[in-house]
Amino acid sequence: MSARRVVITGMGAVTGFGFDWQSMWMQMLDGAHCIRPWQPEEITDGSFPVRYAAAVDMGLLPAYLQEHPAWRLPLEKRSRYGWVAATQAFSDSGLQAEQLRDAAVLCASGAPQHMLADMQLALADEAHAGADWRHLMQRAAEVQAQGSLRQSNDRLAQVIADDLGCEGPVINISSACAGAAQAIGNAFQMIRRGEVEIALAGGADSVLNLDTMGALYLLGAASSEQRWGKDLCRPFDRDRSGLVAGEGGGFIVLETLERALARGAKPYAEIIGFGSSLDAYKVTAPDPQGRGAAFAMQAALRDAGVEPEQVDMINAHGTSTPLNDATETLAIKNVFSRGDHYQQLAVSANKSQFGHLIAAAGAPEMMLTALACRDDRITPTVNLHHPDNGCDLQYCAQQAVSRRVDLALSNSFGFGGLNTSLVVRKYREVL
Amino acid sequence: MRLDNSISIAGTGCVLPSGLGVDALWQAARDGRSAIGPLRSAHFHSRRVVAFGHVADEVHQQCRKEVAANLQRYCPPSVIWGVNAVRQALDEAGLEPRKDRLRYGLYCCQGGYTHPSLDSYAELLHECNGNNGLDICRLARRVLQERALDPFLVLKSLSNGLLGIVSLVNKFECECNAYMQGVAGNLAALQEASAALQSYRIDVAVVVGAGSELDGLALSALAQAGVISSNGSSAFRPFDREGSGGIAGEGAAALVLRRSEDLWGAQQVCLTGLSAHAELGKLRLPNKPVDLLLCGGTAIPKQDRQLSETLAAIQTSHVSSGQPLTGILSGAPSLVDLILACRALQDQCVPPIAGLRQPINEDLPFAMGASRPARLQRCAIVNRDDNGFSACYQLEQREARTLGADTAQFSQPTLQS
Repeated sequence: MSARRVVITGMGAVTGFGFDWQSMWMQMLDGAHCIRPWQPEEITDGSFPVRYAAAVDMGLLPAYLQEHPAWRLPLEKRSRYGWVAATQAFSDSGLQAEQLRDAAVLCASGAPQHMLADMQLALADEAHAGADWRHLMQRAAEVQAQGSLRQSNDRLAQVIADDLGCEGPVINISSACAGAAQAIGNAFQMIRRGEVEIALAGGADSVLNLDTMGALYLLGAASSEQRWGKDLCRPFDRDRSGLVAGEGGGFIVLETLERALARGAKPYAEIIGFGSSLDAYKVTAPDPQGRGAAFAMQAALRDAGVEPEQVDMINAHGTSTPLNDATETLAIKNVFSRGDHYQQLAVSANKSQFGHLIAAAGAPEMMLTALACRDDRITPTVNLHHPDNGCDLQYCAQQAVSRRVDLALSNSFGFGGLNTSLVVRKYREVL
Repeated sequence: MRLDNSISIAGTGCVLPSGLGVDALWQAARDGRSAIGPLRSAHFHSRRVVAFGHVADEVHQQCRKEVAANLQRYCPPSVIWGVNAVRQALDEAGLEPRKDRLRYGLYCCQGGYTHPSLDSYAELLHECNGNNGLDICRLARRVLQERALDPFLVLKSLSNGLLGIVSLVNKFECECNAYMQGVAGNLAALQEASAALQSYRIDVAVVVGAGSELDGLALSALAQAGVISSNGSSAFRPFDREGSGGIAGEGAAALVLRRSEDLWGAQQVCLTGLSAHAELGKLRLPNKPVDLLLCGGTAIPKQDRQLSETLAAIQTSHVSSGQPLTGILSGAPSLVDLILACRALQDQCVPPIAGLRQPINEDLPFAMGASRPARLQRCAIVNRDDNGFSACYQLEQREARTLGADTAQFSQPTLQS
């Protein structure tokens, strides 16, 4: 029996560009970015070293979404964004509610945000030797009322499953910046294996708070560069200086081709392969030879049953950190070395447009990969003016590229040395 | 998911309140001896939540020796226990990842409350605690100008920390995933591991879970959710009429899974079925009689009575539970039960439910008192999360010859690949 074909039939995204994938796609093709000046709300004198981020602009919230329960219920920002994105994906898919009943929900969300604010409420004022439990419980109830305490990492998946009536498996992935891509990859595998026929997969995250951004700065991961203003996210550029954080969420509906066709859905693209790997090198830095990244891409291609030469485009992880962009380039060159195919590849990095969405990053990047396959249009790598030494691929610098994209890869890598790669194919009913 | 090809448990390891290693856990289980004790924390105290399943400090110190000092700064204690549990499991399986040529897969599960804990921040918070509560500006200055905040907090809080550290220590450059959410996370990790073995993508699957709820905010949340007792109870007595609620614990457990055809042992414990559902009532239970059923209970009599009514659908000779030994584990609940089931099948012995005196259901064959020898071949495990998610695992002890000589032929090329 041939393996089941898995197609993407619905997409929803919340990013700094807005609350749907369509506005994200159109603005990104135009070369826009949504990185703006940002400071944590606790710091009012502008002294926080990280000055820019791609925050979600609530002023862009369309009227039809203003009544969404995500804005009323006590939830963290990341859960709100994820819930809205999942709702949008469901709506975009054209599914009826009852058709989602057996769906699996696979969700990645990063570390809970704003723990300092929680603790400010929970910590007893008079406690010096240790927090008083009774006081802590009382304070915790206040925090609970404000909706933060119980927002553990499994909250979003459960909210989505409850709201959309999904009774299939509810799986929480927590693999840092590769989280959403892992969720999508797992969903693809579950459908292909026949465990479920339909799944909602993706992620949501927001690190735009004092403690997480402070820690990312102290780790040297977040850029505090002032020279380029809001153009400081520069993947593969010689002047790149670190990641620029974004926030948001993205979910896609995956289902078997048979099921999609039976209900008259028109797939955006087909997922045909998934691979993952571990660097086993360092917690905070990728293997300088890009071995782990190469392993993931090779595993994905093997899983898809395609040759490297068939690949037209790569949606790169492209964080604008000195280490990632150099090693990812090296890994791509290694995997696509036969016939120097890497010279033919179009490589696009999106984080200079909507920032690094951390655990959610893989979801909107997957959507852009699928749309590239559908429309033969590739989003540009903005702010890339002077490719770094060794960064000598075709990065679609500054302008969107029109070229045929039959087969594409989407890369997502994470802290801890975790790498994932997904293979996407232009949708054709008959192969 | 029904497993079509046999998957064997080739190695086990654990670091739990019962001590270091599977022997310590199994001895505690046979003795019906709970390792739950008084709750100890330097940063909070309580009269309502008084008990906890602590990993002993000497055990923790022993585990630390296995993780290089430069890696320990990234590790909350549970990750260090996870590393040790994996090492035990690999040893039992006779595997040396850096030396053999087998293809490995690593699947992790961490507890749900892995955020920066109150304990992590406590010293700094107390220092910045002013008359009107926390002085956030002072805190920010301390953090950013004096680098007072441990910058590795953000990494410690990532739930894939276990994945990263275990891969580094063992040099696993392999396929992987990191899950969370207790029972659901354990199930997802086992499912992916089994599928990867059955598809021949890998030859060895390492599944590890680790977590700790020893944090004021986490325990507070668990108490509010009714998962743990907040009435000052110091005993965890699931399935007992006098049960007074759950008690949290901490620890790590690991399994090494192999394709049964790749093993030559005289007897193997095979994972023969995995199933799950968001509702216990819709969970697919074994349709054949089992000899032993291991099940986690809530120690809330009304809920345990409902659970036992569902369990009554399983034809079984004995019902036991490992939870009173360790407390409710956030990272490895199912993995610990799988380890207990393995040992029960290997030793042909039924461990009692520690502390059970008055069963809530007289019709179920709850194991009480002393451990007892029994003929055990098939075992089922039913686990539940506090959100209702339920999973059922089935295990079977098989003679090697029943696995079929023809399947063994596949093993040689696999091992050489």
